[in-house]
Amino acid sequence: MDTPGFFELMSFGPEGWAPALLRAAMMTLAIAATGYVIGSTLGAFLAWGKVSGGRVIRGFAETYTTVLRGIPDLLVIYLFYFGGSLLLTKIMRGLGGEGFFDLPGFAAGSIAIGVVSAAQHTEVFRGAYRAVTPGEIEAAVAMGMARPTLFRRIILPLTARHALPGMGNVWQITLKESALVSVTGVVELVRQAQIGAGSTRQPFYFFFASAVLFLVITWISGLVLNRAERHFSRGLER
Amino acid sequence: MTKPAIRLRGLRKSFGLNEVLSGIDLDANEGEVVSILGSSGSGKSTMLRCINLLETPSAGEVWIGDEMIELTTDKAGRSKPTDAGKVQKIRERVGMVFQSFNLWSHKTVLENVMEAPIHVLGRPKAEVREEALALLDKVGIAAKRDAYPAHLSGGQQQRAAIARSLAMHPDVLLFDEPTSALDPELVGEVLRVMRSLADEGRTMLVVTHEMGFARDVSTRVVFLHQGQIDCQGAPDDLFTGGGSERFQRFAAPS
Amino acid sequence: MDFQFFGETILILSAGIPLTLTLASLSVFIGIFIAIGIASARLWGPVWMQKIARFYLFVFRGTPLLVQIFIIYYGLGQFEAIRDSAAWIVLREPFWCAVLALALNTGAYGSEIVRGGLLSVPQGQIEAARACGMSPRLGFMRIILPQAVRQALPAYGNELILLCKATSLASIITLMEITGLAAKLISETYRVIEVFAAAGLIYLAINFILTRIVSFTDYRLTAHLRPASEVLLEIDENLTGANP
Repeated sequence: MDTPGFFELMSFGPEGWAPALLRAAMMTLAIAATGYVIGSTLGAFLAWGKVSGGRVIRGFAETYTTVLRGIPDLLVIYLFYFGGSLLLTKIMRGLGGEGFFDLPGFAAGSIAIGVVSAAQHTEVFRGAYRAVTPGEIEAAVAMGMARPTLFRRIILPLTARHALPGMGNVWQITLKESALVSVTGVVELVRQAQIGAGSTRQPFYFFFASAVLFLVITWISGLVLNRAERHFSRGLER
Repeated sequence: MTKPAIRLRGLRKSFGLNEVLSGIDLDANEGEVVSILGSSGSGKSTMLRCINLLETPSAGEVWIGDEMIELTTDKAGRSKPTDAGKVQKIRERVGMVFQSFNLWSHKTVLENVMEAPIHVLGRPKAEVREEALALLDKVGIAAKRDAYPAHLSGGQQQRAAIARSLAMHPDVLLFDEPTSALDPELVGEVLRVMRSLADEGRTMLVVTHEMGFARDVSTRVVFLHQGQIDCQGAPDDLFTGGGSERFQRFAAPS
Repeated sequence: MDFQFFGETILILSAGIPLTLTLASLSVFIGIFIAIGIASARLWGPVWMQKIARFYLFVFRGTPLLVQIFIIYYGLGQFEAIRDSAAWIVLREPFWCAVLALALNTGAYGSEIVRGGLLSVPQGQIEAARACGMSPRLGFMRIILPQAVRQALPAYGNELILLCKATSLASIITLMEITGLAAKLISETYRVIEVFAAAGLIYLAINFILTRIVSFTDYRLTAHLRPASEVLLEIDENLTGANP
């Protein structure tokens, strides 16, 4: 039997998998982006809790970050995928439905990724807040700035620019983490490569292709992040 | 005519068990330039920071013009101002220049000067901008208006900080060791600006180690020792042997 | 939550602890050599070696660990030449594939830590070593290396913890370590919360112990950063026990 070569398999031709792989790459981006948005929102609240919350809130935020940084992300994905499906089934049965209901892998996966990246975001935001010098805040207070203005005009922008490099880092981590969502059956890059490998018996070609696509995505992300960092860090360094 | 711009009565401040200010009575009239001297730990910076409530006095009265800041005690037994809104109003009228400049690092020099008039006083931007440019010109850094603080020398940063507090049209200017963080060769340019402000008749309270400034520019010198005023008077008197013995030792060229 | 089931689950999952620890320690051991190699190549190698090292970092830090594992475990077997070679003895085993992937991966991240440690030694101290007549080799062994190790240790401890978490990916290529057992148990019992909590607790305990070990080692190695009185006491104790 004549087996197709690498470039034939990865082409846009009738035997080619290029369109499927590119669609999968979009899915990878979608999972990572959704997870990232969830994670940064949750992380902002947690960081705020750590910085200015009472004992209970601070304790909760502290426990959250400690636990989620110590537990494998794969476990968290299982928790949301299986746990979410169980919960959904219970709810649907309560509403009179029958059988088993799967929480869509995309939802479970991006929530799980978000919950994990929230812990990383928390540390980034808190570190950034700490990097704001007390003097800059004091100067604003001394000029009679009210708390909301102080937060909006001084603390927030200063924190944001200190946070940017760390946030870029978390994005790159989240991108790679999204590969784990393949265990839920969502057809992102890794799952698509598995499908291709299974149907053509050319696993190397497919996993190699997905690796290359990941590299392209992380590389472009890196370029964009570098530019953004340079743009926003005006005045931060000599 | 002399009207008091700042009046302190029985001002006390403790940090835990450590009493830093033990009863200060001080008057600064409009147009006066008061230099506050003292060795480190004498409480001079704390006194200054009590005036615009960056530190809350433990006891005593602080008068800004004819308004007194009322203090109460919170549940934990700490004193705090009764009316936070009033404190903000007072801070708008009292300008402060810090030892470490404290310019906002994410804003250019011009943006630093324009920030508070627009966002605290709510004044129109165009008008503020014009005024800010004039102020930068006055302190001699108009050319640096679009630079970020990190790209300026210490002397330039401090002059920008002075312009920033002038933009609020303060009744009183407080200087907290404005030249202590500067390299010696940069001290002069900041002192020159301060001297020109004094010549305009502005009310200034200056915590400083610069004996030359205290002697030549200020209208009155206050010498603090261990949280109390050890002696005060016109610089001509004090620096010609009129002050306490302790002051003579302090002021003597070593 | 069912506490009896929770307790049983902890026991069942504990069976996976040795495999998790073996995977982690083997790959960190191999990974350190890779890390030192890459760091040295970047710091002192000729230009072509620096380029290779940078490309290595680009590839291994730019792709997911899962893809790296799949390429090694599933991918390499595609080629007859590899299946016929001696390497196949290792590469057909999921265990060794996982170790290889983890080691290559941690080698990439670790090399940055090693490099940072080596760069942290002030140039002046290196010059001082030269001035004392030390050869470059002796200076490296006596002056640079000990300080670099101290500097890099906390970060490497962190990497060790990350690696422990990363071993969970081995479960995807059939290895029954803690996460593998947990996934199996979940699909058998559907008691997600208990199994997740039990597995999480085990991982946290492992991390806690690792953190302690690292910070204790760090404490022993950083005598020069502690108050003098404390260190003198310790030296006294050591001296009384030592031969004159």
